[in-house]
Amino acid sequence: MKKLGLYLGCTIPTEQYGYEMSIREIMPDFDIKLVDLENVSCCGSPLRSINLMMQMYLSARNIAICESNNLDIYAPCSQCHLSLSETMYRLKNSDKLREIIVKKLKEEGLNYTGNLNIYHTLDLLYDEIGLDKIKKKVKKPIDWNIACHYGCHTVRYSDILRPDKAEHPDKMEQIIKVIGGRTKDYSEKLNCCGAPLMITHKESALTKAGEKIKAIQARNFDAAAIVCPFGGRMLDSKQRKAAETIGEKLNVPVFYLTQLMGLAMDKDEKKLGLNLNLSNNEVLG
Amino acid sequence: MSDGIVDLFNMSKPEKKKYKDLEKALAIIGIESPNICYQCSKCTSGCEAMKLLELEPHSVMASAKDGFIDEVMQLDEIWDCVGCYKCIERCPQKMSPVDLMYIIKNWCVLSGKQLPGDYQKLLQNILSTGYSQNPIDVNDKENKSWNRKALGLPEIKTLKDQQKFTKILSELAMEGLK
Repeated sequence: MKKLGLYLGCTIPTEQYGYEMSIREIMPDFDIKLVDLENVSCCGSPLRSINLMMQMYLSARNIAICESNNLDIYAPCSQCHLSLSETMYRLKNSDKLREIIVKKLKEEGLNYTGNLNIYHTLDLLYDEIGLDKIKKKVKKPIDWNIACHYGCHTVRYSDILRPDKAEHPDKMEQIIKVIGGRTKDYSEKLNCCGAPLMITHKESALTKAGEKIKAIQARNFDAAAIVCPFGGRMLDSKQRKAAETIGEKLNVPVFYLTQLMGLAMDKDEKKLGLNLNLSNNEVLG
Repeated sequence: MSDGIVDLFNMSKPEKKKYKDLEKALAIIGIESPNICYQCSKCTSGCEAMKLLELEPHSVMASAKDGFIDEVMQLDEIWDCVGCYKCIERCPQKMSPVDLMYIIKNWCVLSGKQLPGDYQKLLQNILSTGYSQNPIDVNDKENKSWNRKALGLPEIKTLKDQQKFTKILSELAMEGLK
């Protein structure tokens, strides 16, 4: 049994409930016990443009909270995962930064050493649990052709350890194959979903999301798989708006990888939050 | 930074002090001086904000490395960066246009620039609740509304000492990266 501190950030526990539900539903089957952390907050990522010190403080703060529980972190949001990993890297390499932030954390009664592992859904499934164990849990293989959307922060940038390779990620494809699906590369695989632009340029953000879905649709995939709540927000929740924005008919079912695994493991669809996905996933039956 | 050059469009000269400050701020987060940029434009060729919003990271780098920091601060395009990190990933010199733009945007904020878009709302939410947004009710395909409780999810965790949290963040906001 591996115990991990579940750090959800802001987007998952406030709107992308299907990701959280499917994570809570499937992880115990792989002997992962998820511990909810008290006193956590935003990872700081949305504040980078405003103030990098605030961003790093918030990330370090959540790491310190996990440390006080003697747990490694599981951050299923790619943006949180990058912010936490980057902050740990920067604090390790700069005495000055570490000094300022550690001092401020003490005021909140928190102790930071930066000595823990930070997992994401992708590396937790692929590197910790492994394809063999996943394969053993498959009861109802999914038989769809699936486009993998990794999301920018899942794979970049390589100086900070990321869950998969920057230019040729393939862990998601391997997992899809093990649970019965088919998949192939497509040239828009690494394109951005547009999410960060929702803060300042909503129409451009929706255009980027629309173009991405359009590309997936044009290549005749049955569905798309994601591992980041921002992909969920843009490609699933806002798929209709994205379609309106670019003036196209878009109809690509989008699932969290953890939902697809749950389906393959024959879990109850409601417990995976499938009814909350707004893209049309009923077509797949 | 080169000495003695003048931008003939507006007759401005390089700002030595601001350039040094930029080098210092970059060094704190482990990024080298903008000097090392040799304008290959790989950052711009992969930039996710280039096609739609005309952000050209290599032009930003060109102005910054010549010390025209005020000019960069006045560029609206730096706020169009999506933070996709393709530029830092692909830069053959290991420079980071994305971080350079973050630092300069931080300076814009410190100098009193009004925050564009929803940034003010985001900041207010984080300062007052710890999160960028409160849990929202979502509709399923049949238009039935759901919240965390109805979905069987535990309540979202709150801050133990919100006042202290806000105080520390506000202090850091005044300091910035220096």
